[in-house]
Amino acid sequence: MIEQIIFYALAAIIAICSVLAVTTRKIIRSATYLLFVLLSTAGIYLLLSYHFLAMVQIAVYAGGVMVLFIFSILLTHQPGVDVQFEKPGRMVLSGLAALAGLGLCGHIIYHNVEKVYQYVDFGEIEMTKIGFALMGTDKYQYLLPFEAVSLLLLACIIGAIMIARKR
Amino acid sequence: MLLEISHPAELYHLTNWLDTILQENLPEWGALLVKFVLIGVALLSAYAVIALLLIYGERKITAFFQCRYGPNRVGKWGIIQSVADMIKILIKEIIYIDNVDKFLFYAAPFFVIVASMLTFGAIPFGRGLQAVDFDNGIFYVLAVSSISIIGVLLAGWASNNKYSMIGAMRSGAQFVSYELSAALALMTVVVLSGTMNLSTIVAQQEYVYNWNIVRGHIPAIIAFVLYLISGHAETNRGPFDLPEAESELTAGYHTEYSGLQFGFFYLAEYLNMFIIASIATTVFLGGWQPIQIGVEGFDQIMNYIPSFVWFFGKAFFLVFLSLWVRWTFPRLRIDQLLNLEWKYMLPINMVNLVVMVIVVVYGFYIK
Amino acid sequence: MTVSQYFSGLFKGIASLIKGLTVTWKELWTPKITQQYPENRATLVISDRFRAELVMPHDENNEHACTACGICQMNCPNGTIKVISKTVETEDGKKKKILDEYHYDQGMCTFCNLCVITCPSDAIKFENTFENAVFTRGKLDLRLNREGSKMREKKKPEPKPAPTAATAEAPKAETPAPKPAAAEVKPVAEAPEVKTAPAVEEPKAPEVKNDTETKE
Repeated sequence: MIEQIIFYALAAIIAICSVLAVTTRKIIRSATYLLFVLLSTAGIYLLLSYHFLAMVQIAVYAGGVMVLFIFSILLTHQPGVDVQFEKPGRMVLSGLAALAGLGLCGHIIYHNVEKVYQYVDFGEIEMTKIGFALMGTDKYQYLLPFEAVSLLLLACIIGAIMIARKR
Repeated sequence: MLLEISHPAELYHLTNWLDTILQENLPEWGALLVKFVLIGVALLSAYAVIALLLIYGERKITAFFQCRYGPNRVGKWGIIQSVADMIKILIKEIIYIDNVDKFLFYAAPFFVIVASMLTFGAIPFGRGLQAVDFDNGIFYVLAVSSISIIGVLLAGWASNNKYSMIGAMRSGAQFVSYELSAALALMTVVVLSGTMNLSTIVAQQEYVYNWNIVRGHIPAIIAFVLYLISGHAETNRGPFDLPEAESELTAGYHTEYSGLQFGFFYLAEYLNMFIIASIATTVFLGGWQPIQIGVEGFDQIMNYIPSFVWFFGKAFFLVFLSLWVRWTFPRLRIDQLLNLEWKYMLPINMVNLVVMVIVVVYGFYIK
Repeated sequence: MTVSQYFSGLFKGIASLIKGLTVTWKELWTPKITQQYPENRATLVISDRFRAELVMPHDENNEHACTACGICQMNCPNGTIKVISKTVETEDGKKKKILDEYHYDQGMCTFCNLCVITCPSDAIKFENTFENAVFTRGKLDLRLNREGSKMREKKKPEPKPAPTAATAEAPKAETPAPKPAAAEVKPVAEAPEVKTAPAVEEPKAPEVKNDTETKE
């Protein structure tokens, strides 16, 4: 009962803030609404007692990506200026693209929702298990993707340094 | 029964008694609701009281470092000086500023204080005194404390003031860099203790030779020092107070704030100092465990001192260390600040992590 | 930056940080010298040299040494002192200028001590009584000579044992001797000290003047 109330509250925050994030005219407010969306998503993960994912959501998205977003907005764009509307043709096109994306994702989620329920019903997963899964080489263990992602990040860092040093 | 006698003044007797009374007299959801409210009120009031203690202590210790007496007029030795200051800040006017983004301007202090309160809830203050005990507690603490920087950035931008803006940008750069080495220093200890659960980490450190700083000897001590430095930098204090460098930026990101909103920033700054100290205590210095050396009589005597007293004693000792550092070193320049992090602390941290892994794998730590 | 430079810099930095910490650690335990002012009034020691208030010492006969020459008034850089004199006729029929009122506006005073240095008869001096706060500015306008006070007459004619052989020092040394008053001893004892200052400065002033004159 309480869980349902909390879920509906979080879902309402996510829905409202998502809409606000794309409709607001100030880009920095848009970033703030996106932050609320990400935090509420973390709340939903916590509700599913999927703590590790919730922490990752907060640390990476709220604490990391959003800080970089806000930082770059403050540094580059004129943050106080209202964003101009696009041409009507472009608006229609992007609306159609968004609807298509919604349809595709909705279709996938709708047809797989029962499977998702099965996966979720574990309770809190031990941190050591997650650690072994991330660092193991067996089946359903993810050392190779983990290393591949870190390689990608390394490449990004080197690229950033190259761009920064080019005068 | 013997255990009951050995911990006479522990607060968990009180909490257990409250719990049984609530369970007997109320339905389950009612008991839960009352408990939520009680825990919330207890944490909030502890938050405020600790902040008052810290402000008083800081002013006194600062004064002693500068050969002064510090506040000594309000009450005996000035002990209610900070209470008076708090009342003053509470009744001050909140000044409404023109041409600011109202929503972000008023939301920013809440980001800062909520982040610091969420972290505060996860700290084990004593035997059975922990509000939130996640299996990945250290990760939780690191994740949640990183939200506060968004509040600082938004405050700096929403103030519509270039000093605030520069202060916020500096604070952002500083926080993002130093969070990295704080996390790495904590990871070093996680390697040693094999868990991220704060209560398990405390339970492991029963005797002094089990404290992580002793058990992990050299790499643990290096990690401890690195964590203290980077934590100190994260709280924007001491030699790392560029974001609010008074001589350059008036007050940095909270220049435009007044009254209670300024109080939020102020409170969060002091509590972040305490939170850094208490995480260091929990992770390195045995948390609320008393000093036990394995001798029966001595341990018994030490056990009579309640565990939260031990915790606060250790945490305030670390706060004292940070004040000592604060009043010793001059403020760093921004390039020196980033040099220190990226050229010294981060490489040392990484090497230290590898050393710790070797120590753990080959069993060189003190068992 | 070589590797050895990196490490030597690192360890030297740590060593200097520890050195700084030891310094402040010692500072933490040094006894505090803060004066808890209103409570320690009884034991408070203010240096004699501290200049807080201009006074005109009067002896037990209600006499002062001021000749109303006005040099202090002329030397005061910001018009603090106002000497009001009046002319009276003495017994032997001569007209003489004596002091009527000596006004001192403490609110204007910068405590530069120029008036005391230049006073030819050591009539005024600075005291270290520093609690001068009042509620209105008018109260800072002080009158230094007391009601009904008069100038101290020089009693030179009576003791004249060796008028020709007496050096310049002799009358000076003798004058304090017949006066037992404790209050009067101080300014006289200080007099040679105070007088030396202009004595050194005075010859300089004409030299400078001469230089400028010759150049012109």
